[in-house]
Parts: sequence; C-alpha cells; structure tokens
Amino acid sequence: MLQYTLTRLSHMIFVMFGISLISFFFIHLSGDPVGLMLPPDATKAQVEELRQELGFNDPLPEQYLRFVTRAIRGDFGRSIYSHEPVVAMIKDRLPASLELAVAAMIISLLVAIPVGVFSAVKRGSLLDTGSMFLALFGLSMPHFWLGIMMILLFSVRWGWLPTSGRGGIEHLIMPALALGLSLMAMFARLTRSVMLEVLSLDYIRTARAKGLLEAVVVGKHALKNALIPLVTVAGLQFGFLLGGTVIIETVFAWPGLGRLVVKAILDRDYPVVQASVLMMAVIFVAVNFVVDLLYAYLDPQITYRREKA
Amino acid sequence: MKRILTGLVLVVFLVAALAGGAAARDKDTLIVAQETEPVGLDTTRNNLHECLNVSHNIQDRLFEPQEDASVTPALAEKWEWTDETSLKIWLRKGATFHNGEPVNAAAVKFSYDRLLDPNLKSPHRGRMVAFTGLEVIDDYTLVLKTAQPFAPALHLLSYYLPIVPPKYVKEVGDEMYNRKPVGAGPYKVVSWEKGKDIVLEFYEGWYGPKPAYKHVIFRAIPEEAARVASVLTGESDVVEGLSLRSQMTVAKSDKASTTAGMGVMPYLGLNTYQKPFSDERVRQALNYGINRPLINKTIFEGQGILAAGPISPRSFGADLSLKPYPYDPEKAKKLLAEAGYPDGFEVRLSYPTNMQQIQEQTQVIAGDLAKIGIKVQLQPLDPPVMWQKYKNREHQMYIYWWDDNPESDRYMFSLLHSKSRDYYYKNEETDRLLDAARSTLDRDKRAKLYNEVDRKLYKECPWVFLYIVPKVYGVNNKVDYQGRRDGFLFMRFAKPKS
Amino acid sequence: MIRAMDRLRLRLPRLDRFLETLGDLARHRSAAIGGSMMAAIILTSLVFPLFYSVDPVANDLLVRFLPPVWLEGGSWEHLLGTDNIGRDVLARILHGSRISLLVGVSTVLVAATAGVLLGLVAGYFGGRLDDVIMRVGDVFLAYPFMLLTISVIAVLGPSIFNLILVLALSDWVTYARTVRGSVLSVKQAEFVQAARAIGTSRAVIIWRHVLPNILSPVLVLGTVRTANYIIWESGLSFLGMGVPPPTPTWGRMLAEGRVYLIDSWWLATIPGVAIMLTILAINLFGDGLRDALDPRLKPTSG
Repeated sequence: MLQYTLTRLSHMIFVMFGISLISFFFIHLSGDPVGLMLPPDATKAQVEELRQELGFNDPLPEQYLRFVTRAIRGDFGRSIYSHEPVVAMIKDRLPASLELAVAAMIISLLVAIPVGVFSAVKRGSLLDTGSMFLALFGLSMPHFWLGIMMILLFSVRWGWLPTSGRGGIEHLIMPALALGLSLMAMFARLTRSVMLEVLSLDYIRTARAKGLLEAVVVGKHALKNALIPLVTVAGLQFGFLLGGTVIIETVFAWPGLGRLVVKAILDRDYPVVQASVLMMAVIFVAVNFVVDLLYAYLDPQITYRREKA
Repeated sequence: MKRILTGLVLVVFLVAALAGGAAARDKDTLIVAQETEPVGLDTTRNNLHECLNVSHNIQDRLFEPQEDASVTPALAEKWEWTDETSLKIWLRKGATFHNGEPVNAAAVKFSYDRLLDPNLKSPHRGRMVAFTGLEVIDDYTLVLKTAQPFAPALHLLSYYLPIVPPKYVKEVGDEMYNRKPVGAGPYKVVSWEKGKDIVLEFYEGWYGPKPAYKHVIFRAIPEEAARVASVLTGESDVVEGLSLRSQMTVAKSDKASTTAGMGVMPYLGLNTYQKPFSDERVRQALNYGINRPLINKTIFEGQGILAAGPISPRSFGADLSLKPYPYDPEKAKKLLAEAGYPDGFEVRLSYPTNMQQIQEQTQVIAGDLAKIGIKVQLQPLDPPVMWQKYKNREHQMYIYWWDDNPESDRYMFSLLHSKSRDYYYKNEETDRLLDAARSTLDRDKRAKLYNEVDRKLYKECPWVFLYIVPKVYGVNNKVDYQGRRDGFLFMRFAKPKS
Repeated sequence: MIRAMDRLRLRLPRLDRFLETLGDLARHRSAAIGGSMMAAIILTSLVFPLFYSVDPVANDLLVRFLPPVWLEGGSWEHLLGTDNIGRDVLARILHGSRISLLVGVSTVLVAATAGVLLGLVAGYFGGRLDDVIMRVGDVFLAYPFMLLTISVIAVLGPSIFNLILVLALSDWVTYARTVRGSVLSVKQAEFVQAARAIGTSRAVIIWRHVLPNILSPVLVLGTVRTANYIIWESGLSFLGMGVPPPTPTWGRMLAEGRVYLIDSWWLATIPGVAIMLTILAINLFGDGLRDALDPRLKPTSG
C-alpha cells in the first residue's frame, strides 16, 4: 500500500510539472498584455518601462525558473492587471466553483440513481424506455444552450428565478441543473446497466428464492453493490466537472474559478492562469487518487464481476 | 422515493419564488448594475471603467468636469493661472473626508505625490507627466507647476487626481485602501465583499447638495440578457453595458428608458507606410466606399453620429463645416483605378475580440468593401495579441476605438502625434499643430488650431473615419438619471421620477 | 446469387462478421433511428447547395432580425429568419452543418489515429515506453480540458485546422487508454502467446490478432466522442475561440444569438436545436453500435 501511494505521489508531481510547463509556455507564446495594463494614452517609454519591470524581456526559461522557485514557496505572484495576490483571488473564487460542481453532482445523483434503479427493475416498461430516451436527450443537449434557454424561460418570461449571480438557493438551481443534466443522464444510464448486471447475478436469485421482499432485495443487496462502481465513476467525473464549469459560469455570471481563468487566458494574465490551472489539476489528480485508493480497497469485496449469469 | 423527490423539488421552487418576490426594496436605495465587478476602488490605482464608475462617487477631486471640456469648482474653490505654467489653487474650507480628516493643502500634496510615486505604479502617472511640481503655500492654498503651457491640465486634474486622506492611507496601507477607500466625495463605502455588492451611503459631511438617494449599490451582472432583464423588472435602477439591440429593447419597453452616455468612436486605421495605403487616393476611396448612413440607420438605429474628420463633432475644436464623406462607390472605384488598382486588392482587417459590436461592424464593412473590389480577410485577435501586432506594425488595416472625449487632446495627441504612436502614420505638420494646440491656454486660439488639424487630416485620411456611437444606459422608469458624455456614473445626480 | 453470396461470406470471415453486425444494427431500434438520422444529416450537408444556394455570408442590413416564417413578420424568402446583419439563418445552419461534421469527423480521425498508435505501442511494448506515454497522457488528462483548448487556440489563432488539432490533442488519451487496455488483455491470451512461441513477428501479431479486437471498442468510442467534439467545438465558438468569421458555425451562431435573446430568441434557439438533433442522432447510433458490437451479448464467442 505504501509503495503504491508513493508511486502515485511521484506521478502526481510529474503531472504537476508537466501542466505548469505547458500552461507557462503557451501563455507566453503570444500576445503582449503590457499595452493593456496601462491606459491607452500611455507613452511608449512607459510601456517599455513596465515590460522591463515585470521581467518580460528576460528569456523564457529564466522566467519559468523564477515562477517555479517562487511557486514552491507558495508565492504565485500578483495579477498583472489588478495587482491582487493570485492566491487570494483563487481562494475567493474556488469555493464558488466547488459549490456549483458539488450541487450539480448532488442533483444529478439524486435524480439519476432512483431513475436508474426503477428502470432496471421495471425493465422494458414505459417508464424504462421513456426515462432512457429522456436521458439520451439530456446527454445530447449542449449544456450552455440549456442554460440560456432556462434563463429565457424561468427568468425573463416567467420571472421565477434570478437571472444570474451567486446567492441563495434560487441562484444555484439553474446553473447546477444545466451543469448536472448531462451527468444526470449519464448516471441514470450507468445505474440502470449496472443494476441490470447485478440483478442477474446468482446471489440475487438466491435472495429472491429465500423469499425476501423484492424491495429489500433491490434496495439492500443489489443497490449496495451497484453503488460501488457508480461512486468511482462519480468521483472521476467530479474532476472533469470542475474543469467544465467554465461555460456555465460564463452564462450565469457565476463568480467561479473557471470564468476567472478564461478571462485571464484571453488577457494573458500569466500569474493567474498558471496558478489556477495548477489548482484545478491538483484537485483533479487528488480526487482521482482518492477514488483509486477507494477502489483498490473495496476491490476484494467486489465479486460480482467474476460471476456471470 | 420518487414522491419525496417531486415534493422536494416543488418546495424548492416555491421557496425560490417566494424569496424572489419577497425581496422588497428600500425607496432610498439606488441599484446600479455594471457588466464587470471592479477590482479596486481607488481612482489612483485603477484605470478600468467599472472601477472609476464607483470610485468617482467616493473620491472627490479638485474640480468637477463639465461636458464641454471646462471645469467647475469641487474641492478647489477658486483657481487662476498666475503665469502660463503656474496654476494657483484656493481650496474650499471646511471640506472633510469620510473619516473626519480635513481636506487641506497637505492632503492634496500627499495625493499628488502618491499618484506620482513609482512604487504605487499608478496607471495615471503618465498623464501627469506635464506637471513638474506642487508647492504648498498655506493650509488652503497651493500652486501646481507645469513644464510648458498645458491646456488639458484642468480637465485631467478633474478626473485623475483624487484627493485622499493621508492619515487613513498611511494607517491601512494601499491594498486595504483599494478595497475600502475613504474619500471626500458624496458617498462613503459601507461594505464590499468580493463577489457581492458594493454598498455606498451618503456622507453627511459632504459640502455639496444632498443627493436624492441615501444608498447606492453597485453590482455586477456580466450576462447582458440578465442585465437588461434586471432593469426591466426593476431589480436594477440603472444598467450600463448595453449592446445596440438591448438598447432598443429597453427604449421600446414601457418599464425603462435609455439615456446617452459616452460616445464610442471606432476608426479604421490604415498602414500608411506600405502599399496600398501609402497612396492618399486609396485611403480616400475607402472613405467613399463604406455605406455609413445605412449602417447608422440599421445597426445603430439612427443614434450614431457620422464622423467627418478625426475630431468628433462633439469634442472641442472640431471643424463643424466639414461634412462626412458620402457613400459613393462609383467615386471610390474611380479613385482606386486612378491609383492603379482597377481590380481592387486583397487586404487583412484585424480587430480585437473584446467588443461584440465591433465584430458585427467588421463583417458589414467587409461586405461593403467587397462591392468596390476590395477583398477583406477578417482577422479577429485576442486583445493582447492585437496589441502586440499593432506595436510591431503588422497590421494592414485595423479597427480600434476611443471615446469622443470633450477634451480633444486626449485622443488626438495619443493617436496621431508621432511621439505617442508612429506605428502607422507620421507627419511633421500634424505634430506641430497638435503640439501648438496642447500648449495654447486661450480657448479660442486653441479651437482654431484644432480646426486646422481636423481639415488637414480630413483630406489626408490616415484613417477611414467611421462614426460616433453614444453608449447608452438603461434607466428604470422609477428613476430619473441623465447620462454623461465622459461615460462616468456620478450617481448623486440621480433622483426618483415624480 | 445467394449461393454466391454465401460462398463469399464463408471465404471472408471478416466480411461475414461485418454483415452480421450490420444486421444486428438494423434490428436494434435506436441504432436504426440514429443511423437514419445521421445519414439524413450527412446527406443534407453534402447536397444542399443543389437545392438552396443562398449565400450564408451575404449581409443585407435592410432585412435584419426577420423571424422564422411561421412567426408574425416572417417571410418565405428566409424560412428560418435572418440574423443581426441580415444573413439567412437557414443558409448558415446548412453551411454550419458542414463545419460541425467536418470538425467532428476529422477530430476523430486524428485523435483516434494518434491515440490508437500510442496505445498500441504502450500496451504492446510495455515497460519504459508504456510509462512515459501514460504519464504524458495523465498530464493531458489532468489539464482542465477547456483551458487547454483555449490556451492553444489563443496562441495559434483560430482556424478550423487549429481547432481540430486542439480537440484531438485533448482527447487522444481516451483512445490510447482504451486501446492499451485491450492490448494488455489480448497479450495475455493463449493464442497470442502461442503465436509468439512459434516465432510470428510482432507486426503480424498486432495486425492479425490485436487490431481486430480493438477495432470495435475504438469504433464505438469514436462514434460517441464525435458527439463530444461537436459540443466542444460549439462551446469554443461560443467563447469566441472557434472558427473565425464569417464562416458560419453552430456554436458561433449560438454565441452571436445569445445577445439578442429577449427579442430574437430564434437566433440562439435554432442552432441549439440543430446541435442537439445531431448529437442525439450520434448518441442513438453509438448506443446501438455498442450493443451490436458487444461480444458479451453475442450468443456465440468470436
């Protein structure tokens, strides 16, 4: 176990380096933000002075080294436009993105699991085909378009919900739904197929033969085992979810990390981009790591894969 | 299980609906929605429009800017140019900062030095390069000196030198001051949490007339449809950042109206050092070849003003006898043929992607130019990339813009004087005229000099002159607020509609 | 005739399997529906100029914001209305379909080729090479996808080619991993070990035994991922990073239309519907394909 953990950790560090390298070089390869940091009536001399000050005239590898040595100490510098410390900016916006991602995850699981279970149990029924078709529909909808449509209906036309921003639960519903819809669809389908597999296993038949109530059979035995692969997939998806909040944050003016980074990339706000990308990658890798550990730990107990109907 | 779920969802919706409806508002409070949240509230350190919109309400300056490029008293009560390079200022007595500190010459000197402090890296430092020093005469009198006679001095001071309280700034430091500034303006900061509203409250000790609204809240609603919806529903009282279409939506509705603010003045810059634009006839041809009246009628719904020469008719010193180039594609083709391009040519049009409206206009312009034989290849670029290529003289034809500031020197000098930018155009006579206009303190003489520049460049066409499009604020019918040409939101002028 | 076909099928077991799969597909409901939808979309995008030759780029400021023909104010000249500078929406949707399909298909080809190759190499040769490839893949996987694409496009500039490149760059790992997994399991199989034992060259083993087994998962994966690429492309266009104007793409139409949501809601709705229908078709077909090719569901082993 220890050996496994150590190897994974070393892989994580490699990944971190790779990511920071990619983001650094890409951002520096084009565009000069200095002209935009000063008012348009700044003189040429001023612009040059600023470039020199910020170290933009130094060779790239040197700039990268500077970044790494500072980053290791936890100093990620300041935004070149707002001069705010980057770490503070990320601390500001990360909870919002997490809130959105978690809410989306919860909503999707809350709906998907019951739907998937019922579809599996009542296989072939109208409920089953209907909900699976709806799921496919949900998977096929571009989530940012869905977000825009929801604003059109629920905010503009009917005035039920606020148009944008972060606040109470009424602000969270639409973005979380938009973000979680495709996840919901995916989980519903996954739950259904996993449940179908589990339900056809020997020990389930045994349980039924023993005369246990169907509800108990499904709820206690089948669902419990079906949840394991589901949870692992959910964990993996969470990492992707965090990176995918970008567009939804844009549509709903959600003050999250995604929107911050996109703007920073377009503005070539180097320090912000590098730190944010690293942060998102760390979360992704960490979540994966935990999920992997969980899976490895639970694996001996999963016997259903060995048996077939 | 499913029933519980449905019930839950219903409850959530019900709560949301109730919560939304129950948010009744204080009649004393004015809510302003901007597109972006400010990054800081200290005028000294910020140049972004959304920051200055808020900070100008908090920090007063020496003078109050007027729409014709003149100024009126603010923290300065009286002033006089004792000679061509010395400005003597008598401060208003009894004015205080929000924390009680007195507004005196020491505070002005402190603010001035702070603005010029290289460590503070104020974006306005460059603008103050004309000033050489500030001398304190007594508690309420001081003298500002310039290197040469500098006509735009008062105008610049009325925007970019906020007077700040020395004790408070030293106490809390620049970072904290940027988040929660204390000024001598009509409104003081009550609260501002990142990501949430900025709440301002009237400062009882302000020397001016009491505004109609005790509280002003600035909030950010980045999504335009949401912003428009908020002014129509009354969720916001004033909104900025409306695209043309949204402006029409607001104007046509019976819940809100529009009021004109700053004018955006886009122009098509031409690389006059290289073919084909090194030939004046080609440049003029382009000016004849774009159907600006139609663009104005349709895209701007007639709200735009066609530009004649480079100086906006609304700015100081424009030669109002000049008429905008008419749309004359035949004449354009003739000029092109004369210059040696009877079959037209191919050219790249570069533009930055941060303005949706520009995107629209470039496509129409490209369509028009195609009709006179010029095949335009559109090149949208990220703003920093656009700037980089701009500096490196890589553009052939590019769109940029300025605002039609009442003070012409602001854009005429920056854009057309070779000391400022010589990337695509350079002319000694233009330089001479602009230098002279900048250092003539007499208003009439100055106006004549600008007239001359206007006429000269009208003929030379270093640009394709386009139009001025006033940006517009949406104002809910409960409120009466007039927009300003400088494009800043001075909310003390807003009052409830009777 | 049938006898000839039968003899042909016996001779070519692969063709036989292919035809069998086709039959399975046709019988599978969703695959049939999805497949026919896809065929309709592809066909339309290829031949529409024969029937509808309106220029998608031609702007006519005098007919801006015309609603679709079934709404008040619409006209038969512009069935789906016009946009903010008077361009015909239907023409743009039709031309846009080409871009979406082009991007989708090209990205699959590039990503799958790269991914399969790397996955094969990693899985078959193992060891150091495997480690390196997988670690590099991890980096790409951990890099928040949207940010990777935005960064690259920001640097290289927007163009169809760069778009395809960047999408493929973000997704090759998916193919590589799947292929590697398949290769690893095939490697263990007895018949492969036997082939190695008698000295069959690596290349032949890969060609004859490994490739056919990874073909199905890659095919399914590719089909399903195409849907993703189309959504990502529209997402990138939405953020302003897709194919540059004036080329019409569905994502760009969505972005441009979003501003006019309140008055001219069709500008944002119609492209969204187009995207959704296309994705739906692909997903339906992909579902059916997966079921048809799933060896576990076959009554006899392959």
